[in-house]
Amino acid sequence: MRVRRRVVVTGMGSVSAAGCGGSSAVAAALARSAETIAPLKAFALPAGSSRLAAEVDDGELMTLLDADAVRRLSRICRMAVAACRLAAADAGIEGGARLGLAVGSEYGDFRSGAEFFNGFLRRGPAGLSPMIFPNTVMNSMAAVVAIATGAKAPSVTLNQATIAGDLAVARAVALIAGGRADAVLAGGVDEIFLDVYGGLSALGALSPMAGGIPEGCRPYASDHNGPVLGEGATFLVLEEFEAARARGATILAEILGSAWGSIPVAPHTAPVSRRDAYRTVGKALDQAGVEPGELGRCYGSGNGDPALDDWELRLLEADGIRDPVSLAPLFGQHGGLGALRAAAGSLAARVDGTPTLVHGIARGGCRAAMVIGRAA
Amino acid sequence: MTRVVVSGLGVVSPYGAGTKTFWAGLATGECAIRPLTVIDTEGFRSRIAAEVPADVLPALGASYRRSRADRLALAAAREALAEADLAPRDRAEMGLFVGAVGGGMLEGEAWYGEARRGRPSPRLRALRSILPVSHAETLAWRLRLGGPRETVVMACASGAASIALGADVIRSGATPLVLAGGVDAITRICFMGFNALKLLDPGPCRPFDRGRRGMSIGEGAAFLVLEDADHCRARGARALGELLGAGMTTDAHHVTAPHPEGEGMVRAMADALAASGRAPADIGYVNAHGTGTPQNDRVEALALVRVFGEGRVLVSSTKSLVGHTMAAAGSLEAAATLLALQHGLIPPTANLHDPDPDVPFDCIPGTARPVEVGAAVSNSFGFGGQNVSLVFGR
Repeated sequence: MRVRRRVVVTGMGSVSAAGCGGSSAVAAALARSAETIAPLKAFALPAGSSRLAAEVDDGELMTLLDADAVRRLSRICRMAVAACRLAAADAGIEGGARLGLAVGSEYGDFRSGAEFFNGFLRRGPAGLSPMIFPNTVMNSMAAVVAIATGAKAPSVTLNQATIAGDLAVARAVALIAGGRADAVLAGGVDEIFLDVYGGLSALGALSPMAGGIPEGCRPYASDHNGPVLGEGATFLVLEEFEAARARGATILAEILGSAWGSIPVAPHTAPVSRRDAYRTVGKALDQAGVEPGELGRCYGSGNGDPALDDWELRLLEADGIRDPVSLAPLFGQHGGLGALRAAAGSLAARVDGTPTLVHGIARGGCRAAMVIGRAA
Repeated sequence: MTRVVVSGLGVVSPYGAGTKTFWAGLATGECAIRPLTVIDTEGFRSRIAAEVPADVLPALGASYRRSRADRLALAAAREALAEADLAPRDRAEMGLFVGAVGGGMLEGEAWYGEARRGRPSPRLRALRSILPVSHAETLAWRLRLGGPRETVVMACASGAASIALGADVIRSGATPLVLAGGVDAITRICFMGFNALKLLDPGPCRPFDRGRRGMSIGEGAAFLVLEDADHCRARGARALGELLGAGMTTDAHHVTAPHPEGEGMVRAMADALAASGRAPADIGYVNAHGTGTPQNDRVEALALVRVFGEGRVLVSSTKSLVGHTMAAAGSLEAAATLLALQHGLIPPTANLHDPDPDVPFDCIPGTARPVEVGAAVSNSFGFGGQNVSLVFGR
């Protein structure tokens, strides 16, 4: 039997449509009753397009950054840096050779990619900006966060639809459990950008997907008709238990079990009849030593995509889990949402002591599960 | 600790399809960097690259409707799985770790260009495979792989990182089998970006040469079947080599430039050696990141001196032969390192005519050299200060 290092949550930072801040701000955002999904303000939309989004308040974001960061960084990098600094401050942790990064993103810095390519379309080779090009690689957010926080252990960027943040947190757990780092800033980031929003809308991937009405984010509901895009960055500070205790950190929760697997189905599909032979949830529960009936709650990745919602419910039911709760109506679908689920699970477990299952499934079959509980 | 062996290998390179073709090219020292044809190069400083030959693509066995990168990935992955000779039940829990950067961007760029020019484009479906994750989705589906899956985007270290992370998952006990590697096709953004940064040599790249002027872009895919050594032995499969250890570090210094003293590179190599249980003196060969840019080669040489000592290890850059294949580079070079160990022959550094005195190593200029080596290191470094070193043994 392999000895697994214990992994705990010691801080969190978030920049989202529901507000910015550390663990207390995340708790406040989760308790918020005001709507965060509203008609998109950042750019004009073509006729026939979807119209709703959960946008970050740029004015609030700017208050979290110094002038140099605002000048140098692209918008998505600003969000990532701000959230990671908030998380590091919340945990009271500093950089070094044992602090790593795990960043999940669905679309990366697509804005910079488009800006770079548009320079060429307008002016040919003379229009290409060497300053923008590095941002076109999806690990650019991790690069600037590493510099901003001094994180010198492995820095891993993962690209994944729907559950990018879940995967990043699960990967971070593995980095610590396997000894590659003693602490990891783990989470996800995405921004709303015209070409991404317009492209997804044109592909029928956003509410109202099949032309149903009204447009909106209604996960697991009978009238769900597609996701609504959100944006922002949310990161947790995960630490090896003994290291956290030795420095006197406040331990918010423990990741009792985590696993990620996949169901090999056609890309972009969510066939409700396909089962998970890898037993992703079962593996996470086994690792945690928790039975499905002992779970206090389950945060699911349901985002209003009818096929995906239905598949998730069916898969969870097969695992003995019912009535998952979605945070998508509060934050919109984006790469940070999985980290927000993990943050919510951590805060809930701290309050009532019961373990939480954080679950995610994406079209194409990538699946992640984490069991989060109070640290003993 | 769980030992991780390599039980399958698949490559599509600028030499063509197949591991044998790849090795034949490396062993003869043929430089596959030629005039670039897949995109228009008019007006650019460099107009060459190492492309997968046009006549190879139709024979890869993947639908022409897939992105170019997906086709490269599928062919390489299928070859690796065939060599490992796995049963369907083995694949059901097999992990998949794909290093990727460009995704299906080559096709996405075509759509985007048309859309921006106001032309109605029939290629909207290209958007569905534009992201790096599309390769993993395609591979998992077509190859029926049902274990842990990740798309690792760590710039030019992506392919090597996917191997390191995949091996970690085996060691964690989550699965005994992983398909790990990297893929990238040439894209306009990548070619134009490195041109804009003036990091491309107008001629074929010359790593470690005093007159080097930059790198040459390439494309390809390589996948390794990584396997718990006990599992491999139990099913009577052949191990092609062993992944003895891996180190992964971050510079946290600059977005595009390496740390001037190679601090992160040194840590990556030192961590990999420590994980492998080998001393620097046990390493006979380093397949260098060796891009051919003045800065990378100088700093990598500094780091190699700090880890191994001046002239204490043989060094070569296979990028001089097949170009810098971006996210695939780390996996192509892992394959080259394994093959060098297998064959007792170290691939050369092509176009190295005037060795840089700041690189105090025998960099195997021009001609492959027969040397029996017990263990070797493959280095991969990338934008964002990403450093990955892999230690392989026979």
